[in-house]
Amino acid sequence: MAAGTALSFPSMLRAQTSPEDARTVRMAKEDLRIFDPVASTANITQEHGLAIYDTLFALDSKLTPQPQMIGKWGVSDDKKTYTFELRDGLGWHDGGFVTAADCVASIRRWGQVDAGGQLILARAKDISKKDDKTFTIALKEPLGLLPDILASASGQFLFIMREQDANRPATEQVTANIGSGPFRFNAALAKPGSSVTYDRNEKYVPRKEAPSAYAGGKIAKVDRVIWNNIADQQTAFAALQAGEIDFFQVPADLYPAVESDPNLDLQVVNKSGNVAFVRMNCLQKPFDNIKARQAILNLIDQEAMLRAMYGDPKYIRTVTSMFGNDTPASNDENTAWFKKGGDPEKAKQLFKEAGYAGEKVVILQPTDWASVSNGCQVLASALRNIGVNAELAPSDWGGVATRRSNKGPVEDGGWSMFLSDWPEFAMGDPISNVLLAANGEKAWYGWPKNDEYEALRAKWANVATSEERKALARKMQRIWWDFAGFVLIGQSVGPIAHRKTLTGLLDTPGGYLAMWNMQKASA
Amino acid sequence: MAGYILRRIVSTIAVMAMVGIFVFLLLRLAPGDPAAMIAGRSATAQMIAGIRDQLGLNDPMPVQFIRWVRDMLSGDFGTSIFARRPVLDLISQRLEPTVSLSILTMMLSVSVGVSFGIVAAWRTGGPVDRLLTAFSALGYSVPVFVIGYFLIYFFAIRMHWLPVQGYVPIASGLVPWFMHLILPTLALGLGFSAFIARVTRASMLEVLSEDYVRTAAAKGASSYSILFHHALKNAGVPILTVIGISFAYLIGGVVLTETVFNIPGIGRLVVDAINNRDYPIIQSVLILTSGLYVLINLAVDLAYTLIDPRIRY
Repeated sequence: MAAGTALSFPSMLRAQTSPEDARTVRMAKEDLRIFDPVASTANITQEHGLAIYDTLFALDSKLTPQPQMIGKWGVSDDKKTYTFELRDGLGWHDGGFVTAADCVASIRRWGQVDAGGQLILARAKDISKKDDKTFTIALKEPLGLLPDILASASGQFLFIMREQDANRPATEQVTANIGSGPFRFNAALAKPGSSVTYDRNEKYVPRKEAPSAYAGGKIAKVDRVIWNNIADQQTAFAALQAGEIDFFQVPADLYPAVESDPNLDLQVVNKSGNVAFVRMNCLQKPFDNIKARQAILNLIDQEAMLRAMYGDPKYIRTVTSMFGNDTPASNDENTAWFKKGGDPEKAKQLFKEAGYAGEKVVILQPTDWASVSNGCQVLASALRNIGVNAELAPSDWGGVATRRSNKGPVEDGGWSMFLSDWPEFAMGDPISNVLLAANGEKAWYGWPKNDEYEALRAKWANVATSEERKALARKMQRIWWDFAGFVLIGQSVGPIAHRKTLTGLLDTPGGYLAMWNMQKASA
Repeated sequence: MAGYILRRIVSTIAVMAMVGIFVFLLLRLAPGDPAAMIAGRSATAQMIAGIRDQLGLNDPMPVQFIRWVRDMLSGDFGTSIFARRPVLDLISQRLEPTVSLSILTMMLSVSVGVSFGIVAAWRTGGPVDRLLTAFSALGYSVPVFVIGYFLIYFFAIRMHWLPVQGYVPIASGLVPWFMHLILPTLALGLGFSAFIARVTRASMLEVLSEDYVRTAAAKGASSYSILFHHALKNAGVPILTVIGISFAYLIGGVVLTETVFNIPGIGRLVVDAINNRDYPIIQSVLILTSGLYVLINLAVDLAYTLIDPRIRY
């Protein structure tokens, strides 16, 4: 009995410190370093924005924009003036009411950094408030996609901030963390680099509609959510098993361990997942030549690359449309010639036609991003096998992020190729998704240039119907795959691991965490 | 003695200055850009350039260096690029977990290491001595993270005795504070205990073979008296040196331990800062650490005089 008492003593002590509160959800999340969703494109920063801010419009699960903060809205007969009226009950966490002036200032600030926002600002003749609850956007020419852009999650969300915050320059971070969303940021409990805490906003008035992705009623069903920055994935998984946390973005090698634990579930909360791609430097040899880029299109064996990068075949899928597999713009135009990929002989021939003369091909390899790092190794090996002088340039992601902005030749610290990924659903949005631009040195890293394609892309915002947009997408894709602005590796979905007591997690395109609707049963 | 201490303190400042210059240059010349880390993976080059400008990272390196030195001399260690808070605030916020872990680890290592070493020397060739050899081999060869994962698996997941990770401030209660530090202390302390035990054993064996020890034994002194009054005091200088070195090495050891056990201490602060290229944090922590390192060595040197009256400065 004494031994039993001794053995149970530590458990009793531990119980005093265990998180048993069913109204508190603890999550292992990466470090929230930047709090301003305009200043950073990082997923974690956008998720922070989703927690504390609200949006004018929001995408539902069918990627249709739905009013969120907006009560009523309309467009003039000439389609050039949009009028928006805020719904009732919108209040800031510090006590004030959300006004039209806040919305106008937020649109202007967001419009400086987001590609869709930039289009709105370029087309706008005037953005101004009419009264405390009403504002208008007057355009120089019609922009049928305006509500879609305001709802877009392809680039950065348009979060509505207080006017005094939104009046700051876009490069100057807003650190007040006062929004009007379903959760309040608890500054007193924030421990930079360690954890952040969100409390339920009891004054939040949700919409009446059922929740659907980022749209509908945002009902916070737990009192508190804590994001713990647990850097070590094994430790995070152990904490999940022990019940110290409820949620963890688990790496692929731990899927079997999660599946074998009766208290845990693997759940795909982002069914569209991400699309991985190879970006090539179109300004330098050998990829300044279209034939060399087409060679990569033929070389890459998507299935082999996906297996090397993500493992479990349940969560991977090949993709041939530049618009992804399941977006409204997805199509099969001009894909037959490379569809199978994995054709080294064809790739070798195309490199020869490109006049390849043994130039060094430098692949930026982020060693702290396991899946992409593995993909780099497979790609380098495939290139070497066809006689290309491929060299890996390993560094952490910080090194890759810096070096990829160098437009010069590899001898001057430049680069030839890098791998990354993008939310699949965002591939259907050539307005906000900078990856789909081909405007040369103004384009995203790799700087592809094709004026004919750009002329078509410029029409995207003007076409009136979805049928016209689909037809336009086919024309764009025909050109894109001829000049190969990027090469796709494939689609992957990364399930999250959570304790079975945590339910109600919403499926969101892009996988940004929506903390409303989730609830936790007693353990 | 006072002159010696003054000279050592002046040399500490010189060491900190050299470390400062070295770290400043190293960070600026190494690949990586805090602006790119702030902007995120899908940011455009224009967005990154705007952030660089706002942070003053486009200024020439000598201008940045002079600005940094000037601020340091006025006691301003800068503001974290990411947290937007004074670096000293962040360091002081992280100090308690690291100091707690370090003190507990040293208490464990010294008590286990010295007593194990004394017993092994006293019973040289016996089972305790052989156990010490095995213990030392284990302590030296198994990395901290392996020991950490094993302890987590056994004590936290299987037995449910102790928490897997995290830290509870001492102000929130002595018991939860201690419970959260048991596993990290064991993981970190094993290697240091082995190190101290080996040196204690070797040092004691050398002293125990001295003539005066034999004389004491011949005069009928008890084993306790021989070990603790005659031998240990004379074997103390190398043991104290090793403890001092261990304390200095501990600064490096906590980095890994804090990562494995998710303890928000100085080690995690530095690792995160390096990943983020948060220059002000890296520079400040490394300078302060180098100063601490030199001061520990000074303290050890001064402690020699307490053990061995023949040592004079």
